[in-house]
Amino acid sequence: MIIEMKNIKKSFGGHDVLKDISFGVDSGEVVSIIGPSGSGKSTLLRCATFLETIDGGEIIYMDQKAAYTGTDGKAVYVQPNELRKFRSYCGLVFQQFNLFPHYSVLKNLTDAPIQVQKRSREEAEETAMELLEKMGIADKAKAYPYQLSGGQQQRVAIARALAMKPEILFFDEPTSALDPELTGEVLKVIRQLADEKMTMVVVTHEMPFAKAVSNRVIFMDGGVIVEQGDPKDVFENPQEERTKRFLRVFER
Amino acid sequence: MTLSTMFLTMAAGMLRTCGIFALTLLGSLPLGMIVALLKKSRFSAVRALIDIYISVIRGTPLMLQLLVWYFGPYYLFGWSIRGWRFPSLIIGFVLNYAAYFAEIYRGGIESIPVGQYEAAEVLGYTKAKAFMRIILPQVIKRIMPSVTNEVITLVKDTSLAFTLAYQEVFSLAKQISASQTSFMPFVIAGVFYFIANYAVAFGMKRIEKALDYYR
Ligand SMILES: Nc1ncnc2c1ncn2[C@@H]1O[C@H](COP(=O)(O)OP(=O)(O)O)[C@@H](O)[C@H]1O
Ligand SMILES: [Mg+2]
Repeated sequence: MIIEMKNIKKSFGGHDVLKDISFGVDSGEVVSIIGPSGSGKSTLLRCATFLETIDGGEIIYMDQKAAYTGTDGKAVYVQPNELRKFRSYCGLVFQQFNLFPHYSVLKNLTDAPIQVQKRSREEAEETAMELLEKMGIADKAKAYPYQLSGGQQQRVAIARALAMKPEILFFDEPTSALDPELTGEVLKVIRQLADEKMTMVVVTHEMPFAKAVSNRVIFMDGGVIVEQGDPKDVFENPQEERTKRFLRVFER
Repeated sequence: MTLSTMFLTMAAGMLRTCGIFALTLLGSLPLGMIVALLKKSRFSAVRALIDIYISVIRGTPLMLQLLVWYFGPYYLFGWSIRGWRFPSLIIGFVLNYAAYFAEIYRGGIESIPVGQYEAAEVLGYTKAKAFMRIILPQVIKRIMPSVTNEVITLVKDTSLAFTLAYQEVFSLAKQISASQTSFMPFVIAGVFYFIANYAVAFGMKRIEKALDYYR
């Protein structure tokens, strides 16, 4: 397993947002997470990528514990310098891209590898250009984010995350901020990564995409995993009433 | 006094004005950043202290602050204030402008979307590196217009050094005008200030232009 999250609990000011969530992702697996707004999908990804701290449970990357439940029942994280290693295992693609506007596309991709991972400039730039090539935007290497369309910006953001060579990549609604005609180009590169057996977890409202690309679908509602399984089963033959009700909205 | 001696004397005064100006910026621009960061300190006592400092500075006239810095050591501790005129002047200006710059920096830092911090965090930047490489450059661009305003105000504020009888261009203009019963010194001082402000505005415009490569 690349990541295992066990019995994750997280609340914001007394409001339980994640209630005892457990799931794992195998190497090369693509998992889609679907569910209504406010069900805790983003919070789950933010906990997995260490942007939020869990209240209880365990986060295990590559059989190493990043966080575990201490004797008092509260979550304990490893030391900050060790946590840095765990951060390097995962990447996150945001709904709002969050590119660095003052850096060129190329520098968005090379700055962290050079500054954080201490890789050489030559190597970082070579990797960056290969990734831009793959994303179909090599000609934009010298451009600044504001000069790109939303779809191009999101592809840069995906390339930026990949430039760190993570073991697993998380996507939080990567196409939700895009105009409908631009979602296709972003979904296409994610599908391409899936074909290359990149391990990914994708929160999405694009049901046809989830069905076609993922090995497993997780339906979340109210801070719990209501149902999960093979996309065919979950979409065509959901077992739980809440799943049925949620999917009905997308059928029209 | 011939016109050329008058001009030369005042040009020397203008140099001292520029000295106050440059030293004030040199001290207050970085100090303001330290103050802005301390205002976000984990320790509430530090935050409270910074709040008091900023509100006292903003709530009292700069002229009064200069007098306090100059005469304070004598009245409070009985110290001799020989040679203290210029240092006290710079301390007064630096501490005053640092408070205003701190507020500008704080506003700029708070205007950066939280997504920028989060993107940097996920990419593994340390807090310090994220601030220096990702946040600060964007802050600088955003605050340039407000900083330009302050810097231009500073050019004019240097004339408050006359309160401590420091021989900068404004003090000299007043003295020479009185002794020579001439209006000319004021005209010369006005021209000097105007040119200085023009140069400052030009310089700041250049910096803003240089930062125009992104949005
Ligand atoms: N930082 C936060 N502070 C307080 N409440 C939050 C915070 N982040 C998320 N929440 C709450 O947690 C719940 C789940 O949010 P989120 O994980 O964003 O759901 P989703 O991504 O599935 O729409 C929501 O009710 C939201 O208001
Ligand atoms: Mg969300």
